Amino acid sequence: MKNNIAALSFLLLSTATVAVAQEKASPLEISGSVDTYYKYDFNKTGNIKTYFAGEQNSVSLGMIDLALKKTTGKASFVGELSFGPRGQYESIPDAAGGYDPTANGFNIQNLYVNYAFTDKFSMTAGYMGTFVGYEVISPAANFNYSTSYLFGSGPFQNAGIKGTYAFSDKVSLMVGLFNEWNQYRASRGVSSLGGQLMVSPVKGWTAYINGLHGLDGYGNYSTVIDLTTAYQITDKVKIGLNAADLSAGDDKFGYSGVALYPQYAFTPSVALGLRAEYFNYKGVSGGPSASVTSFTLSGNIKSGGLTFIPEVRFDNDKDFSQSFVKSDGTTLNKSAAQFSLAAVYSF
Amino acid sequence: MKTVSLLMLLLGLSTLLFAQEIAPLPKDETGKYTYYEVVSTAVSQDTLKARMQNFIQKQKKELKPAVASAKELVANGKLIIRKSMAMLSHPSGEIAYRLYFEANHGKYRFWLSDFEFFPYQKDRYGNFVPSTTVGIPLETEAKKWNADQWDEYRLQTSKYATEFATRLKDYLINKAVQTPKPPEKKVISKTWD
Repeated sequence: MKNNIAALSFLLLSTATVAVAQEKASPLEISGSVDTYYKYDFNKTGNIKTYFAGEQNSVSLGMIDLALKKTTGKASFVGELSFGPRGQYESIPDAAGGYDPTANGFNIQNLYVNYAFTDKFSMTAGYMGTFVGYEVISPAANFNYSTSYLFGSGPFQNAGIKGTYAFSDKVSLMVGLFNEWNQYRASRGVSSLGGQLMVSPVKGWTAYINGLHGLDGYGNYSTVIDLTTAYQITDKVKIGLNAADLSAGDDKFGYSGVALYPQYAFTPSVALGLRAEYFNYKGVSGGPSASVTSFTLSGNIKSGGLTFIPEVRFDNDKDFSQSFVKSDGTTLNKSAAQFSLAAVYSF
Repeated sequence: MKTVSLLMLLLGLSTLLFAQEIAPLPKDETGKYTYYEVVSTAVSQDTLKARMQNFIQKQKKELKPAVASAKELVANGKLIIRKSMAMLSHPSGEIAYRLYFEANHGKYRFWLSDFEFFPYQKDRYGNFVPSTTVGIPLETEAKKWNADQWDEYRLQTSKYATEFATRLKDYLINKAVQTPKPPEKKVISKTWD
């Protein structure tokens, strides 16, 4: 009994000591998110894949995301793993480096180390969320729950080494060498060169001009140019824009697209946002192009760490590139519409 | 019995460390939360100004100079709000503020005001960054569901302002005069003397 009390006393003393000492130490950060959703397609079939939610009339799982971060002096690391269908099926490779949904693996979202040589210059090496594009895999960092065609076509992650130099708060430049897209290790060597210029001309407006040349996720050598920008005009109004063009191979096939993201916040906890997107698949070897337009209206209702995202989405596929079908399940249709309600908890 | 008393004492001590009595900041005549202090000192006006400029430069992660005139020094500051005081936590936002400093003969005064909260959101690289560039004034009345959280932000701001004032006073008055370090004592273990 005495031993137990002594041990408890020691524990309490240690806790108190930690409480005093931690003011100087950088704590280990633990964060993450959990998401789940319901989706209903008005043609009663899973028409709009949205890269994560292809089901029809189903309460489905997204993923649990767990991240660790630690900073010691000028060095830091981030390790972020996700478990669940949102990562496993379509976006990031499983533990074996493949996309096999039957393998019950985990997915790495971020795994890198960073060293800040000075206040202005830092270097990062490892596997990182891509610098290209507006939307990201984690639903906690997106306004809309379903994702854009631009998101689904671009890289998700890049493994490599990059250096970032901040000329000022308003201008910075990143240059890096990377493996092919979305791979933990290179199959054909470090094959890509990428860069990002960040400019922030006025308070609230930030623009990223991105370029990546090298081996893409489809096995071609390609060049993607991307503009991602957002402007918080007032405390209620925000506008985002993403425009990208990818040219691959000698035929310069690939895609181009643009998405606009106007948002209005009624209160800090309730906001409404639209995504209007035009996306074009460039024809191979001079073949015809195919385009898609998509309108997504989403609400964000926040309560503590929880965000509800009710959403309606209308897609128009005039060239039948998406194989939308009518409610009979076989007749091709030019349009598709869906409703979804997602719950995303961030901690 | 003695052991139980000791245990209770330790429990009380550790609780005290976590829950110090902190009151929210008072409001100024315009209704803004403000920390205001006048400090008397023998340090000259010019020296105070020079030291203050040096203090701002040294705290560059926390303070950025905004205005430097003959009358006053103004800087923009921020404090990081953590989700909990526990060992395992992450930043949930930052509170930006304005620091105003004026020196006079035999005294200086400063005040922290214009507190605004910027919630954080995790970015694509797993780092927490401000999710908006338009802050919410700390005076904003909280909704019922986040009233506790908002109160916590105000208390953390008050605690920070008090600690900031102490740090500033230490730098401007107490520790500004460097005392020479005493010579390091060496232990020679190989002799009997």
